Amino acid sequence: MSSPVPLVEPGARLAPERLARYSRQLALPGFDDVAQRRLANARVLVIGAGGLGSASVPYLASAGVGTIGVIDTDVVELSNLHRQIVHGVADIGRSKLDSIADTVAGIDPATTIIRHDVRVDSSNILDILADYDVLLDGSDNFPTRYLANDAAALTGKPLVWGAILQYHGQVGVAWAGHGPTYRDLFPTPPAPGTIPSCSEGGVLPSVCAVVGAIMGAEAIKLITGIGRPLLGTVTTYDALSGRFREIDFAADPDSSPITELIDYEAFCGISSEPVRGDEKSAVGSDLEPNFEPGFDPGFEIDARRLADLLADGDPIQLIDIREPYERAIAAIEPSELIPLGTLVHRIDEIRRDIPVVLYCHTGVRSASALAFLRESGFHNASHLVGGIDSYSATVSPALVRY
Amino acid sequence: MAAETGTGVIVAVRYFAAAADAAQCEEEQLVLDDGATLGSLKVLLVERYGDLMRRVVESGSFLLNGVVCKDDALPVGDRVDVLPPFAGG
Repeated sequence: MSSPVPLVEPGARLAPERLARYSRQLALPGFDDVAQRRLANARVLVIGAGGLGSASVPYLASAGVGTIGVIDTDVVELSNLHRQIVHGVADIGRSKLDSIADTVAGIDPATTIIRHDVRVDSSNILDILADYDVLLDGSDNFPTRYLANDAAALTGKPLVWGAILQYHGQVGVAWAGHGPTYRDLFPTPPAPGTIPSCSEGGVLPSVCAVVGAIMGAEAIKLITGIGRPLLGTVTTYDALSGRFREIDFAADPDSSPITELIDYEAFCGISSEPVRGDEKSAVGSDLEPNFEPGFDPGFEIDARRLADLLADGDPIQLIDIREPYERAIAAIEPSELIPLGTLVHRIDEIRRDIPVVLYCHTGVRSASALAFLRESGFHNASHLVGGIDSYSATVSPALVRY
Repeated sequence: MAAETGTGVIVAVRYFAAAADAAQCEEEQLVLDDGATLGSLKVLLVERYGDLMRRVVESGSFLLNGVVCKDDALPVGDRVDVLPPFAGG
């Protein structure tokens, strides 16, 4: 890929105080006062004020990007702090946008931060992106990744994307008309539930730092025209080996052109309808339990219902399918710990004579465990919708949320 | 199984992220039957590396000589990259 022209025209001359601030990058070979003025004139849109936003936005601001828009609707939680280092203890419960804006103001109050407190989707991304030169995607879900790619392609703007999970990172640049896009690497989204999220699979915080910092560098390169962007190459990072490896890739010759935005939740197989158990238990099975009156043997049980059952002392087997470290944080009692990965070997411990309720953190893993148990003939099993997180939010605030 | 001892085609396979976790290595050379397809490579990988690799095969991208391939009937070529997607941010 040839080096593209700088993305942004230089702005006004910078005052001596600004030049002093940037003296250590003005000293860089190939980087000059004009490059600095391009940064000052640049408008960068970042999706997500989480791990990757934490590792990219401060560098964009400190390097002199004049305007940074951030899209996020979350509030800061305790479990964010290990990796989302723009937020601190005092920010817990605050909007992530307010928190990241304060952090940036602490680095350089001259930086303009624009807060987009919206769930970004097909209906609004083009309007938001219209005011920016480059898009950084640090989102945490597949629908948004394809949305970001397609919006960038439709507008002809470059996308810098990064993704992290466990000890692994990926980062690349997609720029329709200049090179392949995210869809040329991942033409088909994974089936829902097949790829763990960071809350399910974990993530090493310094992987965020590595990937987010590369994203920041790519944005700076695109804006100023220095170097060669990661077009047609995805860089992968493995923290366990400490190594980077790259994959060079070309456009998918079978791909359809991107002509419009679509329903990305549907594209990724995510239904906006909650999953409901509308099929009833198999009839006439010897294993059919005698349910307590009023106990719905359907697939799902909500937090209030479970609390009522526990309070009434109804005979149920409550099974915690999370990991031991999670149980050490909080648990709904009385329950038994059978981590999901061991369930297949410990299926003999599941009761068939009384209702069984499975729970996990947010209800994703328990839904998976429930499907397995149902296939194995446990028509007496259901799972807690929303997991212990919903239980804490709804009926038992003393349980620590994570 | 592939004809590891036979006179087949040599394919250099690189594994990334969860694929490397499943294979317990970052790359290896496999000898496949002449005319081996992407589909037969996937079958071999799942046979060798089990459930973890099955998940990668179901959701990951296979790049044949640097171009993503969705057609299991296509011949594998000499260089394959196995890259699972993830969306954490």
